[in-house]
Amino acid sequence: MTTQMIISVMSRDRTGIVSDITGAIYQLGGDLADLNQSTLRGYLTMILFAAFDEDITPEMLRAKIAEIESPTRLDVVIREVTGPVAPLSSELPERTYIMTTQGINRKGIVYGISSFCFTNDINIMDLATTTSEDTYTMVLQLDLSAVDSIVDVREKLQDYAEENELQVVLQHHDLFKVTNEIPF
Amino acid sequence: MLRSDQILATVEMIQKENLDVRTVTMGINLLDCRAPSVEETCTNIETRISDKAGKFVETCNIVSRKLGIPVVNKRISITPIAFVGAGFDRDGFIELAISLDRAAASVGVDILGGFSAQVEKGLTNTDREFIHALPDALCESEKICASINIASSQKGINMDALAMLGKTVKEIAEKTRDQAGFGAAKFVVFCNQPGDNPFMAGAIHGVEEADTVLNVGVSGPGVIARSLEKLISSRTDLRLDEIAEEIKQTTFRVTRCGELVGRQVSDMLGVDFGVVDLSLAPTPKVGDSVGEILHILGVDAIGAPGSTAIVAMLNDAVKKGGIFASKTVGGLSGAFIPVMEDAVLAEAVGREDLCLEKLEAMTCVCSVGIDMVAIPGSVDSDTIAAIIADEMALGMINNKTTAVRIIPVPGKEVGDSVSFGGLFGASPIMPVRNAGKSSRFIGWGGRIPAPVHSFKN
Repeated sequence: MTTQMIISVMSRDRTGIVSDITGAIYQLGGDLADLNQSTLRGYLTMILFAAFDEDITPEMLRAKIAEIESPTRLDVVIREVTGPVAPLSSELPERTYIMTTQGINRKGIVYGISSFCFTNDINIMDLATTTSEDTYTMVLQLDLSAVDSIVDVREKLQDYAEENELQVVLQHHDLFKVTNEIPF
Repeated sequence: MLRSDQILATVEMIQKENLDVRTVTMGINLLDCRAPSVEETCTNIETRISDKAGKFVETCNIVSRKLGIPVVNKRISITPIAFVGAGFDRDGFIELAISLDRAAASVGVDILGGFSAQVEKGLTNTDREFIHALPDALCESEKICASINIASSQKGINMDALAMLGKTVKEIAEKTRDQAGFGAAKFVVFCNQPGDNPFMAGAIHGVEEADTVLNVGVSGPGVIARSLEKLISSRTDLRLDEIAEEIKQTTFRVTRCGELVGRQVSDMLGVDFGVVDLSLAPTPKVGDSVGEILHILGVDAIGAPGSTAIVAMLNDAVKKGGIFASKTVGGLSGAFIPVMEDAVLAEAVGREDLCLEKLEAMTCVCSVGIDMVAIPGSVDSDTIAAIIADEMALGMINNKTTAVRIIPVPGKEVGDSVSFGGLFGASPIMPVRNAGKSSRFIGWGGRIPAPVHSFKN
């Protein structure tokens, strides 16, 4: 029997954060199964999935991490995972789409688009944004598996874009894969 | 997820730079539609086309919507009709044309190509009847495109056919006088015609092909033009080999889109996928011009010295990018320079920058040939035949496909213009120098023998 944990870490970016955290896991005899990290404007956030012997608790791991003499403050959230874990999947759903939106930067763009997706049973798998001058650009990877009619969604999206003065384009992921990847 | 900048570049290609799948063309074998009577043959043909292509247009639209990339034209090509109608006479062929027109309309395609014959070695009686039928066939039908292969690097040039065709082109234009000779825009004379070219007017379903096949023509002169502009404005130390590389890489992406659409349509229809023809085919639309690319690459006037070299580089880079992008590349696959269909080329004619002779030189290094060129209606048939002969010789000796689609516009002379509208475009009338001086050459007939390099056994 094992204790499985999801660990989330946020900190100002510096060298050594990954080795600090994974070191703490290693010292408690943990097995690191999966890890994802990204940086934004000088801050790093990391999410890890690790399995320990059943006598190890989240509090013990939290204490181990607190022992690290970190020059930056590490904000850590640890949760024990008790139910079934989603399997590792490298296959994208057949109905994977890429949505790109561009518009004059203002408050509420991401909220608006993400609400639209929620209302229309679209799951956001990944999301990246950039700002240049006063244009805000969003690129979203979406799963439309649960959508009844993609034609309807396209129409609603068109209306949404017009109402909110955005340029929105929705295209199947295959298009981007074939134009940017070798082999196909 | 893929990199955002790559995603945005692909989106721009489609939204802003006029990338589209120019045509998906279904090639259909009609050889076994031949029945004892013309009437029965027509029925068989119409049934065959309806069976094979009934869901074709709809499927293209579904795939287009799913992927979010426009499929502009859905077309059909057939076995060259002279084979299908072997033994029929001129009237029979006219009926076949009308029947094919009906079939095309019933499945919703805008053009059906393959009203054709292959006579590079010799003319059969059927071939002669076919040629005699052409003017009426093209006048009485709307959606039919015709072609004829009169030369090949293997067999030489059929000069008997050539002499006939000079007259035929004029007749076709005359018969469609009230449409400014538009009939001649639906007829192409070829050397080394490929059996799998998806573009009109010269598309046929070669006899070497299987029963049904899907070929895709992508296009994106606008994409190439915009990517070159971006590259040029971002660097001051650019060299031609780097420019060629940019064209090659952009063509790769363009071709990949076409391949994706084509393969998905053929999967849905259960039809074999044939080839991607990665030609840069312009339209009269602004920003969709091959001529514009020539300007960007450094000639202030199209037809100025350097134009041929630029077209050579462009054509070659397009082929290289496209070949890597697709499992099967075929058709014409190169840069087109159809004068009426390219607003910048047409303008160059009006300014007298681009003349027939320079155009002919450029056809040595690009695909197609003297294409969509409007000439004075008064040019005699022997001169027209001789223009074709020159182009056939270029193709024969250089082992490439060349073609002539020339429109002698009835009643118009240099200084006038002609417009066919839509994809067929518009242009001023191009002068033909030294007209009326080639009759003795055309008068010989016979064959120009196959070139020495054809003997490879």
